[in-house]
Amino acid sequence: MNSAATPATGDHGTAAGERLAAVGTAERLEASLREIRDLKAALDQHAIVAITDPQGRITAVNDRFCAISQYAREELIGQDHRIINSGHHPKAFIRDLWTTIGRGQVWRGEIKNRAKDGSFYWVDTTIVPFLGENGKPRQYIAIRADITERKRAEAAAAHLAAIVESSDDAIVGKDLNGIVTSWNQGAEKLFGYPAAEMIGQPVARLIPADRLAEETMILQRIAQGESVRDFETVRVRRDGRLIDVSVTVSAIKDPAGRIIGASKVARSITERKQAEATIQELNAGLERRVAERTAQLEAANRELEAFSYSVSHDLRAPLRAMDGFSQAVLEDFGTQLPDEGRRYLETIRSSAQRMGELIDDLLAFARLSRQDLNRREVDTGLLVRRVLAELGNPWPGRLVQLRLGPLPACVADPALLKQVWVNLLSNALKYTRRREEAEIEIGWARSGGPDVFYVRDNGAGFDPRYAGKLFGVFQRMHRLEDYEGTGVGLAIVQRIVHRHGGRVWAEAQVDRGATFYFTLGPEAVP
Amino acid sequence: MSESEAVELLLVEDNPADLELALRALRQAKISNRIYIARDGVEALEFLFCEGPHASRRIWDGPKLVLLDLKLPRVDGLTVLQRMKEDPRTKTIPVVVMTSSQEQSDLIQSYALGVNSYIVKPVNFERFAEAVRQLGFYWLLLNQPPVRS
Repeated sequence: MNSAATPATGDHGTAAGERLAAVGTAERLEASLREIRDLKAALDQHAIVAITDPQGRITAVNDRFCAISQYAREELIGQDHRIINSGHHPKAFIRDLWTTIGRGQVWRGEIKNRAKDGSFYWVDTTIVPFLGENGKPRQYIAIRADITERKRAEAAAAHLAAIVESSDDAIVGKDLNGIVTSWNQGAEKLFGYPAAEMIGQPVARLIPADRLAEETMILQRIAQGESVRDFETVRVRRDGRLIDVSVTVSAIKDPAGRIIGASKVARSITERKQAEATIQELNAGLERRVAERTAQLEAANRELEAFSYSVSHDLRAPLRAMDGFSQAVLEDFGTQLPDEGRRYLETIRSSAQRMGELIDDLLAFARLSRQDLNRREVDTGLLVRRVLAELGNPWPGRLVQLRLGPLPACVADPALLKQVWVNLLSNALKYTRRREEAEIEIGWARSGGPDVFYVRDNGAGFDPRYAGKLFGVFQRMHRLEDYEGTGVGLAIVQRIVHRHGGRVWAEAQVDRGATFYFTLGPEAVP
Repeated sequence: MSESEAVELLLVEDNPADLELALRALRQAKISNRIYIARDGVEALEFLFCEGPHASRRIWDGPKLVLLDLKLPRVDGLTVLQRMKEDPRTKTIPVVVMTSSQEQSDLIQSYALGVNSYIVKPVNFERFAEAVRQLGFYWLLLNQPPVRS
């Protein structure tokens, strides 16, 4: 490679006369020098040039070298190339470079260097060793071209290619005739064909026979510049299995904007389809179970109806006999009986009648669950005043002080709501009857949730320790001799309130009155 | 009681205690002594339509009132009521259902079939006797039935 030094040896022997020859040689030398200067000037315009001594110390650089490395010439002369070493290349790479040029051979390669400000640049490099008389390199001339932009573009392209390659979606390139031009790993996985088996083959291999028209349609749309988005169809794998896929196809254009092919992104929706099918099955199962459960509930309801029907009929008949025949004995033979005997018969009668009341209340309570709710807006104030008028004062001669302000309207079943007020207000009247001055307050409060209505009295109250039993069927807080009743009234109140989605509760102290609160709608979800 | 005397009141009741109490109440109220007693729905229908043992009875001879329990052996009270109200010869006879049942379904069906009154038998005998007295007084003495041809 030391032939590159040929022009410098100036071996232009001719057969001309001495003087002429001398003149001619000088002229030729002049011409050669000019030519060399021109070449060097042209080279400096194009290339990055550096000359180093055999130890690798820089002895000369051109302007382009200074420009790209951002170092001044004075900073570079005397330094070796480590000043622009980027650290990018492995040691073996550098060693190979030195071995090559040390042997007097030209080295070519691409090197990444670091400029003064720390930024990197790539140069396509040719290093030419020039040998001395001893056959050892006397200097090296390195000529470089800036390829940073090309490297960047290559890296970007490689990055994109890696993205395409690593994508789980199948990404397939095809030309306008439907011939496959690229085939990523996702496509290999989805369709089962390795790239080698598909590139150059018609993409129609993937299409089931009954769907071949789809491909024609897709290619037509692409040729017209349209794209196909999320097209759900079926494709056939290499193993013959059919798969549900969603396909998006868009045109590939050359730099001049001409459509030269299409890229197809296919995604398996088999799992989604299976999930949809599973959901449908689950829904169907759920509906079936709801229907079964409804049928069971209806059956249970019918049984309950049959039960209360026979309770209604059969349980009351013997009570009528007990009462009726006791009365018959009293009427027909009363004069022959001692007082004690008549009192016993009266006790039989009152017990039978009480059991009749218990049965009636229990049936009324059971009927509540079966009755349909018929909700409408109710004027609460009017309803309460009407109930109070109907109840009247069951114990005339005592003073009842009523406090009743305006009440907000509510939405409820009017007949059932009336029952709630009847039970609460008759309780208030009943349990205040030992007060010389009964006080009953009817009010309401609003606090974010549904309106709270309440009935407060200053009556007998109850022990709050037993408040839990208050709303149970046949639960009583007082002795029958003190306050009559079956213990169903508050159970009915609770059942009605619950059927409206509301809540009922009470506060009380023994002998210091009670307050019953209720709502008619569900609590607001916080 | 003989069938030569026209029966005024048909009492359909299977429970012997209820029957006795009903008769006692009717007697006390001095409503009528021309009463025929049927112990189930079949007996009631045979009497009303002059069949079986009553083949010799004339259908025009009453009764003026039927007191009908609903829960009866063999044929129940609602069926008796339905047959009576379907037949032009018996549909004008007033029927009072006297039952233990407070069930809405019984009430609704009875009225749908054309019952004239619906009485829930109270446990208290005095109230029961009062109810019998009032309905006997109304339907047998005050009520003016159409002339049947």
